[in-house]
Amino acid sequence: MDSFIQLLQGFETALTWWNLLYCLIGVTIGMLVGVLPGLGPTTATALLLPITYSMEPVTAIIMLAGIYYGSLYGGTITSVLINTPGEAASVITCFDGYPLAKQGRAGTALGVAAIGSFIGGTVSIIGLAFIAPPLAKLALGFGPPEFFALIVVGMLMVIGLMGKSLIRGLISALLGLILALVGMDTISGAVRFNLGQDFLMNGLDFVTITMGLFGLAEVLIGLEERMNAGKPAKVKGLLPRRDEWKPTLKAIGRGTGLGFLIGLIPGSNSVIPAILSYSWEKKIAKDPSRFGKGAIEGVAGPETANNAYSGSALIPLFTLGIPSSPTIAILFGAFIMHGLTPGPTLFQTNPNIVWAIIASMFIGNLILVIMNLPMAGMWGKIAMIPTKLLYPIILIFSVIGAYSVNNNLWDIWIMFIFGIMGYLMKKLDFPIAPLVLTFVLGELLETSLLQSLIYFNGNVFGFFQRPISGTLLVISLLVLIISIFTSLKKKRGILASDVEM
Amino acid sequence: MRNAGVWAGALLLGFAGFIFWQSLSFDYYTVRGPGPGFLPLWLSGVLIVISLVYIWEAIKKEVIVFKQILPKGRALGNILSMLGSIIIFMIVISYAGFVVSAVILLFIVLVREFKWYSALGISVVTSIIVFLVFNSLLGIPLPVNALGW
Repeated sequence: MDSFIQLLQGFETALTWWNLLYCLIGVTIGMLVGVLPGLGPTTATALLLPITYSMEPVTAIIMLAGIYYGSLYGGTITSVLINTPGEAASVITCFDGYPLAKQGRAGTALGVAAIGSFIGGTVSIIGLAFIAPPLAKLALGFGPPEFFALIVVGMLMVIGLMGKSLIRGLISALLGLILALVGMDTISGAVRFNLGQDFLMNGLDFVTITMGLFGLAEVLIGLEERMNAGKPAKVKGLLPRRDEWKPTLKAIGRGTGLGFLIGLIPGSNSVIPAILSYSWEKKIAKDPSRFGKGAIEGVAGPETANNAYSGSALIPLFTLGIPSSPTIAILFGAFIMHGLTPGPTLFQTNPNIVWAIIASMFIGNLILVIMNLPMAGMWGKIAMIPTKLLYPIILIFSVIGAYSVNNNLWDIWIMFIFGIMGYLMKKLDFPIAPLVLTFVLGELLETSLLQSLIYFNGNVFGFFQRPISGTLLVISLLVLIISIFTSLKKKRGILASDVEM
Repeated sequence: MRNAGVWAGALLLGFAGFIFWQSLSFDYYTVRGPGPGFLPLWLSGVLIVISLVYIWEAIKKEVIVFKQILPKGRALGNILSMLGSIIIFMIVISYAGFVVSAVILLFIVLVREFKWYSALGISVVTSIIVFLVFNSLLGIPLPVNALGW
């Protein structure tokens, strides 16, 4: 009940004209990002982060969060209309969405996806509103050992789930951790690895690095394999046939539950629920052979699942301060930049801000479903913007974005170096997400580890004498062992892709 | 030496070795507990071991030669011109300000795909709009020349 009243107060803030406007801007940019192949949600959020310096914290985060969940809606459109996923979570939608479009039923595919996304998204925000506060209360009792163990679990999940090889995932994660050490150490005050340069005293900036690793690297890869988008299919009729409603709604229901549960696991990503939902739908279908040829459940389930994921994936961020994916990591950065600390104390210290953000997500989902149902055809046309024009513009925006972090030209050089590094990593099949996540969590990992060790008088086994940290570390050991096993057996299949959200 | 994986592994090994060596100059342990050298030493130590495993894999299990991954022909040109445009942008910006250097940056990339006058037109218009939006509207102090742009 308490949560409900606070949520209503959140609506009061979120429904002011100014916040509504920025919510609209955020979800519109999210749609654009989803629709345009070659521009990912991580780059877009990172690019807009510096622009929000002068904004109110609440408005800034409402807008950035809009990009995050909005891009999941947008990705569907290009998957269905031109068989090109705008972002990774919509890859699955191509399987049945595009065949539906070829049968002249693009409208139905998009309609079902939008309805499913709305239901999944909304239910998971309700879940977020009611699960997050008690979870945060529980997490208030956590000390450094628990946080250390949580971070380790999250990191190992990311490494275990991403990339074709465990070794490359580990290298990526270790690079992120080492890069996070650059600059002044918060515990001892020692300045480490700054190569004698003053501008590295405060460490490398997260936004600059992501802009290079995602923005610039994406453009470089895109310049190589420039693709010409096909002509989008025509959109007619948005609703399924009468006999299709029941299976569609059931698929949406299953997708919602699945997506929500997976979002709760630190280190998961939005592709996992989509894939699992697709294989689940296929498994329980009376006639699995329809899948791949235009089964409506094959669109409804996964699209719902990834949107349900997007809401619940914010729970680890809001309650524990641990981001699950690069895009959420940027949101994490946005909180910090605006003087807020995501984590268990957030609901107590800044309830008005958190609840306004949650309320804005209901509004944003409503705006998105309106944007998607009648206007899907228009968004399909936007995907036709030639990349030869798009890439130079992304380039100039990345340059300004990197510069505006500190108003310093050095940051552009750093972005440049990380851009080349990201390009080479993609070429050699190194996953980038682990690097970004470990970089964000590096400082917290070090302080929690050192504080724990001081507390345990240097005895590492102290972690295992506390129930929560002990259990979590055992889980992370299991994750590591399973990952080693799957990579030895070469069973790292479709789950092993590098994902931004 | 056409094996790209080995080169990448060697680079990683060098980086990890450098961090390891640097970490030795910080206190590993202090009276209060682990010092600033503690975590970097461990992380770079593990990275050294994993880099060696990676090099071994790159030789024995999964050979990636440069030819497979490096772009050729037009694609290579595209990438080099983009990287080059950033370098030129960085050199010019301190003297000529943002607008001029952004026009150069965009022109170098665009002229490969458009006729030169279209490329120039798009570059000039985009640069001016971007400058007005970021500098005047959003208040980001972009570097300017003596004339104020």
